[in-house]
Amino acid sequence: MNAESDLTLDYFNDDSALIYGIGNIGRQDDGLGWAFVDWLASTSACANAEMVKFYQLNLEDADLISHKQRVLFVDASKDTAINSFRLYKAEPKMDFSFTSHAMSIEVIMATCQMCFGKIPEVYVLAIRGYEWELRIGLTEQAKSNLNLASTHLYRTATALTSKTDYCLQ
Amino acid sequence: MSRKLIIDPVTRIEGHGKVVIQLDDDNKVIDAKLHVVEFRGFEKFIQGHPYWEAPMLLQRICGICFVSHHVCGAKALDDMVGVGYSTHNLITPTAEKMRRLGHYAQQLQSHATAYFYLLVPEMLFGMDAAPEKRNVLGLAVANPELVKRVVMLRKWGQELITAVLGKRMHGISSIPGGVNNNLTAEVRDRFIKGDATIPSMEQMLDYAQEGLQLFYDFHEKNRVMVDSFGDAPALDMCLVDDNGDVDYYHGKLRIIDNDKKIVRELDYHDYLDHFSEATEEWSYMKFPFLKELGREKGSVRVGALARVNITKSYSTPLAQAALEKFHAYNKGKSSTKAMHTNWARAIEIIHSAELIKELLNDPDLQKEQLVVAATESMWKGEGVGVVEAPRGTLLHHYRADKEGNITFANLIVATTQNNQVMNRTVRSVAEAYLDGQAEITEGMMNAIEVGIRAFDPCLSCATHALGEMPLEVTLLDAKGNQIDERRK
Repeated sequence: MNAESDLTLDYFNDDSALIYGIGNIGRQDDGLGWAFVDWLASTSACANAEMVKFYQLNLEDADLISHKQRVLFVDASKDTAINSFRLYKAEPKMDFSFTSHAMSIEVIMATCQMCFGKIPEVYVLAIRGYEWELRIGLTEQAKSNLNLASTHLYRTATALTSKTDYCLQ
Repeated sequence: MSRKLIIDPVTRIEGHGKVVIQLDDDNKVIDAKLHVVEFRGFEKFIQGHPYWEAPMLLQRICGICFVSHHVCGAKALDDMVGVGYSTHNLITPTAEKMRRLGHYAQQLQSHATAYFYLLVPEMLFGMDAAPEKRNVLGLAVANPELVKRVVMLRKWGQELITAVLGKRMHGISSIPGGVNNNLTAEVRDRFIKGDATIPSMEQMLDYAQEGLQLFYDFHEKNRVMVDSFGDAPALDMCLVDDNGDVDYYHGKLRIIDNDKKIVRELDYHDYLDHFSEATEEWSYMKFPFLKELGREKGSVRVGALARVNITKSYSTPLAQAALEKFHAYNKGKSSTKAMHTNWARAIEIIHSAELIKELLNDPDLQKEQLVVAATESMWKGEGVGVVEAPRGTLLHHYRADKEGNITFANLIVATTQNNQVMNRTVRSVAEAYLDGQAEITEGMMNAIEVGIRAFDPCLSCATHALGEMPLEVTLLDAKGNQIDERRK
């Protein structure tokens, strides 16, 4: 397994990697996950990775990630403890938080492990959002956070922080 | 002191709802209501848009049954441009069959979600089981092989939707007068034979039958509860073909009573002549009913249970065998039991899979005649579409001006049709489980939710940032003061 201190965008740049944007662009900053994937697709940083954008996680995503070795989930976050973005490695956990509209990444991983007998390395990029009304377009603050996250990951493609749980405050 | 119990939001339904149960001083249920507290406004903000945008925009009402909205809206557009069922100038067989294929795939996927994800866990573990166990993840812990098959069943349906509509969610295939693509033989063969990523058609049929067997096993062990829980009489309504059998894409609207006598049969274009909608100040959701019978006697049930009650036969063997068993068990009467909805849904999973199998083997899907071109002189400017969505009868009605901009839109969704009967179910379950109880347990409150979830109501799809979707149960006294609250 790759040590997290070595994590770069290059690490996801092959067909065994998946970049998964979660969100709803019709709900303002909920579109951050998709916006990151759009930005990534416009660069050559992960040209060989599979990239998908969906509104929400579904149980069959356990099957989707079971075919991959590395996965990066990108989602908006309401967590006020995050000033801009947070990048962390996720671990499988059956937290029983299931509803049809809110399934956690950790639960998808646990289901993958239980049902398919394997599990990829999974990282989460949570980008702070602020407004969630029925409107298209990110807020200026969210755009700024997206820019910080994308710039950071792009810049650190060759020199990422050694922190395992990176949180830009 | 009388008190009021509130379940807000109801969990594991598509959207947000709230249940309020009023108890008197002796803890007897004196009132029970399902409130729908979200307002969407799609009928308003579609106004002014070009008519052809309607099926694209309005399908975004829902992230679960979007194909139903898309196909239903497309039927209304056919009417508007003069090639629909209100004329004698119908779309091509290939176009209709492509729409049906997407529609059946949606039903398979949607029913699988409702049945396996939301209902089976309670069937296996019981309504009183710990909340952290009675969900699909608890199911995954107990029986990972079953959940793996459920995942593949849903994925197969989802991939077929993608093949027909171009996207996993909110894709576009139907256009005024037809569709924009057919199904290539290569894609067809993938779904029939399966490949490294999806199972074969025959495996899907096996999984579907296993789903029904789960219900049979559950019924065998819990016969009294299954046959009495959430009894809510109502008329049944669905689309039927000329033989009186359900047609999920097109037909006449048939309404029957509990003795299966036909109360009304109508061309859905005339729905305004037959139906009225009541409103209540405590809910944004309306209450449709047959004008002639009034709200109390004229409210209808729609969805899987209504359809299985109404249809006399299926054209496919596995579903037909299951249907005969259902009809025999209910002795020729319509079932009004909430738990029998799970039975009906399991039957329709099989029926959907068999209908898909028939279509995949139909060479019309590879033909090139996709659209019937409409001329300006054919323009009608008004259209009505009705389909049987997974949750029941869905209606879209549009009008447009001479420039083709929408001036009127009316949507009656299945959950709205079921509003009255869902409220009756809540009342029935509340009386059975809460009446006279000094202490209200989490299991009792969950029984109310089970009654609602049997309808698989689709109240809306909302934004979902990380970590949202609590269940709050609040206990208020007669004056509205909060005296207890639970959150999970």
